[in-house]
Amino acid sequence: MKKKFLSVLLAGVMVVAMLTGCGGKSPASNGNTTAETTDGTQTQTQDAATAENTGAGDGAATKTDVAQTDLAYKGELELMHFSTSEESEGNGGSDGFRTVLADWQTVHPDVKLVERVMANDDYKTQIATLAAADDLPDVFLLQGMNTKAWAAQGLILDMTDIISKSPYAAQYDDSTYYPFTSEDKIYGLPALTGGTCAVVLYDSAKWKEAGFDTFPETWDDVLKAKDYFADQGIDTIAFGNGSKWQINSTFLATIGDRFTGSDWTHSLIEKKGAAFTDQSFADALKFTKDIFASGIFNADFNAISNEDAREYYISGDAAAYIGGNWDVSYIQATLKDTDLYDTTKFAVLPQPAGATASYKTHATGLGYAVAINSDVADDPDKLAAAVDFAYEATGPAFANYVATKYALGGLTKVENVDLSGFDQFTQDFYNYQYVDNKPCEIYDSYISSAVWDVLNTDLQSMLNGELTPEKVVANAQKAYEDNY
Amino acid sequence: MAGKKTGRDTDSIIKTRILSLFMNFILLLFSLSCIFPLVWMFYSSLKEKRVFNADIMGLPKNPSFRNYIDILTNSDYHIFESVLNSFRTTVISVFLIVLFGFIIGYILARIKFPGNRLLYVIFLMGMLIPIHSLLVPIYVVFTRTGLGNQWFTLIMPYMAFGFPIAIFLVEGYVKGIPVALEEAAAIDGSSFSRTLFSIILPMCRPILTTVAIIQTFSCWNEFSFALVLIKDPRLQTVPLAMTQFTGQFSSDYTKIMAAMLITMAPIVIFYFVFSKQIIQGMVAGAVKG
Amino acid sequence: MLSSIRPKNRVIFAYLILPIVLYVFAVFIPLVTAGFYSLFEWKGGPNKTFIGFENYVTLMKDSVFWKSFSHNIYLVIACIIGQIGLAFIFVLMINSRLVKLKGIHRTFGFFPSTVSAVAIGFIWTMVFDYKRGILNWFLDLIGKHDAIKVWLNESGLVMLLISLPLIWQFIGYYMVIILSAISSVDKEIFEVAEIDGANGFQRAIYIVLPLIKNTLLVCVTLCVAGNMKAFDHIFVMTAGGPGNASMVMALYGYKISFAQQNMGYGSAISIGIFITSLLVIGGSQLLVKLLSKDKGGDN
Repeated sequence: MKKKFLSVLLAGVMVVAMLTGCGGKSPASNGNTTAETTDGTQTQTQDAATAENTGAGDGAATKTDVAQTDLAYKGELELMHFSTSEESEGNGGSDGFRTVLADWQTVHPDVKLVERVMANDDYKTQIATLAAADDLPDVFLLQGMNTKAWAAQGLILDMTDIISKSPYAAQYDDSTYYPFTSEDKIYGLPALTGGTCAVVLYDSAKWKEAGFDTFPETWDDVLKAKDYFADQGIDTIAFGNGSKWQINSTFLATIGDRFTGSDWTHSLIEKKGAAFTDQSFADALKFTKDIFASGIFNADFNAISNEDAREYYISGDAAAYIGGNWDVSYIQATLKDTDLYDTTKFAVLPQPAGATASYKTHATGLGYAVAINSDVADDPDKLAAAVDFAYEATGPAFANYVATKYALGGLTKVENVDLSGFDQFTQDFYNYQYVDNKPCEIYDSYISSAVWDVLNTDLQSMLNGELTPEKVVANAQKAYEDNY
Repeated sequence: MAGKKTGRDTDSIIKTRILSLFMNFILLLFSLSCIFPLVWMFYSSLKEKRVFNADIMGLPKNPSFRNYIDILTNSDYHIFESVLNSFRTTVISVFLIVLFGFIIGYILARIKFPGNRLLYVIFLMGMLIPIHSLLVPIYVVFTRTGLGNQWFTLIMPYMAFGFPIAIFLVEGYVKGIPVALEEAAAIDGSSFSRTLFSIILPMCRPILTTVAIIQTFSCWNEFSFALVLIKDPRLQTVPLAMTQFTGQFSSDYTKIMAAMLITMAPIVIFYFVFSKQIIQGMVAGAVKG
Repeated sequence: MLSSIRPKNRVIFAYLILPIVLYVFAVFIPLVTAGFYSLFEWKGGPNKTFIGFENYVTLMKDSVFWKSFSHNIYLVIACIIGQIGLAFIFVLMINSRLVKLKGIHRTFGFFPSTVSAVAIGFIWTMVFDYKRGILNWFLDLIGKHDAIKVWLNESGLVMLLISLPLIWQFIGYYMVIILSAISSVDKEIFEVAEIDGANGFQRAIYIVLPLIKNTLLVCVTLCVAGNMKAFDHIFVMTAGGPGNASMVMALYGYKISFAQQNMGYGSAISIGIFITSLLVIGGSQLLVKLLSKDKGGDN
């Protein structure tokens, strides 16, 4: 069993070596940007792939250099994910995932990928139902915060060895494993693209008029700009917390880090004594409450989604916007060829007064990993197919595609990304995400969904002035002790 | 009334006029509010996203069917298969709900047997079951028995959850029908089944129409069962296909509206084409009953 | 009841067996399964720990659950008054000789109940939206700038605001039911009533109300049953927010089961909804019976 598995692996390595030796088929190296991704050609490729069943040797139809591994498995492989074609328009990670997926199917016509694609919200409900019923699909995307619970239930395959034996192991960014680790075992290959969860996009032209050459580095300075923008009839910063997770993911994870530092976060994750009720975290909440009460945000921030809030920025009704990388890709695709596109710049969240634990950090990482149902291990051939898919969906084929097309990075590192072909917007965002700033943990990639659900609900009330920070941290701590 | 014009008569005519004006105005307002969203969604769906965000009420300046074309030509959504699936599931479910709802409702209303009331109460309890928080057990039950993810899968819960209201309405209705007819039929030697279908059924037409209408719309629009019980995209129903538009990272309102209208189209057309017959038939039948 | 029309037992059995089996399979087994799960500490997956009635003890003390329960009661009352009350008045109006376009009112009035809750929720979110909403647009138009609010973020108002779409959507539904009942009432009643104007209208209510008492009872039952498990509109419009200000029981159970993946406790909540709904329905039936008895005594 193990022998066969190894030989498949070996074959995989050889094929990859051959491909890289020949130079492979380097995907679109002319540095085109996202504007060209909305033409729907990915779907066509996929149709062609399934319809023609082109042989494994004929890789002409693939867009990426997916390894042409020999797989013994013939049959269906279930795959569930949330990269809908809607989402892949403008979202580089989704586009890359779909493209590699289609190519992998082309290269492996004997394995029939049975896909279930749904919007992210439905995906979360559905995958929770399937996990509860012990009926997870063969391959799926695992969210960081479910790792510990599902690993304890034996639902997901321990992939520690699979990762170390990966043909691409040398290129992997080890720091991405942390959310998918439970008791020193890794349960998934971090997927899609690593991206910031907290970035300020601002219109540098408007801020210049307000007297700021760059975005203020402290919140106190941001407050000084408030009256100016109010006179212009626009909001200083647009934010949307209607679905309750936004304040946690795109604001508090970063602001919290500024107050508590990363040791506190790690201690909380590893249950080494830190508590939500610690003064530093309570201070972060108090700051959050005050800054949202200060009037620099749009009045309806608690009622609208981030999708609505970013439209305020796009339409010029707000001078800045706080969101995550998914918002950036949308704004980029939307603003292309406008003046605002050229004047839009990026900044880390400003420093709160009294926060000294860290500086210039932004919550970032890979939120999902390709995981394999532990039952798949019963069929070594099928497992080999699933593992091969996991390698390719996160390996160089994917990484090169998103690096050259979108200047994004994933699990597999791409050396010497040539930024010169990209426009200023893309270059700036690349530097923001991967070069200029320090990473910190995304809270809701860890711990447990129960804790975040309680905290996020309370945060929304707190921002409405109906709960005190003390009460919020007490409730969160109770949920933490009960559920984690 | 029209003869002499005493002060009192004029007074009452004015009163009647005011009342008439008031009633017509209120009803018109209500009716317009019911239909306006459809109109608004339609003309908004012809707008560009950005135009819509700038002015949500205005008419489109450059109406375009781009949103519809985008949706209908995207093979990922399996749109035509979905319409077919929804159609098949709805038609079969509604037919069986009406048929069994009629039979059970009648039996529970007319025939004494031990456990009659208990059965009635048990069926009625079905109305109280919060399906959204029961998705896991429902999924488990269907999957363990191998009845999940088939073309007929959704018909079963739709029927089962459609029974309570159907039985409730039919039972109440049958109780209002005088028993004399059935007695006469029985004396003439008509069998139970014959009486049931040739005498009672036509009399129950109005209430069965009501049941059919209600169930048609709820089956067509049902989402939660479809989400958890159907795995194969080729078996999905329209609401399921449409959720792909409201993905986490994109919210294009005009496109969402186009998608909603496509979901609604068959049923809306059905409703407006037959509404007169539906409502008239119901009212006429009720008078006879 | 009538021996002459009573069929043989096996005939009854043959007619009933299939639907009963299906009903038990799709409705009761899941409910019983939920009852079983509710006795476990179960965070999803194959491993469960038996904890007896501990989840129910938690439930009794869970302030969010009881807050949600009170919201459901609010919805029940709002919808009985709003849906059935308005539907009844509208039906009386439609039957009035003074009203034109009767067919249009019937057809249009029922239309919203044919639309999925997702679309309804979407439309009403647009009504209440802060910057682009129809309500604020209107307030702006008539110069009431002070009244402009982030409507769905007002904890004190949000229950009222989310009950509006519910009421609006289903008025037509109850109109159809009441209409079919009232059409068997003698037309002359309305004609007599109209001549006297408003007073007659009031009288019509008093005359017609007792005649369709049973139908109204049906409507009340449907209304209570529907609103005790309300979910869709609120899920779309506020997801229970801000905070838990518009949380209802079914949404809370869903959140616990899926967002928090606490399937054991979520199952206990489902059972809790079921039991409280039974009690409320029983209570409302009793209430209606008591009230109608009083009325009967007067006549």
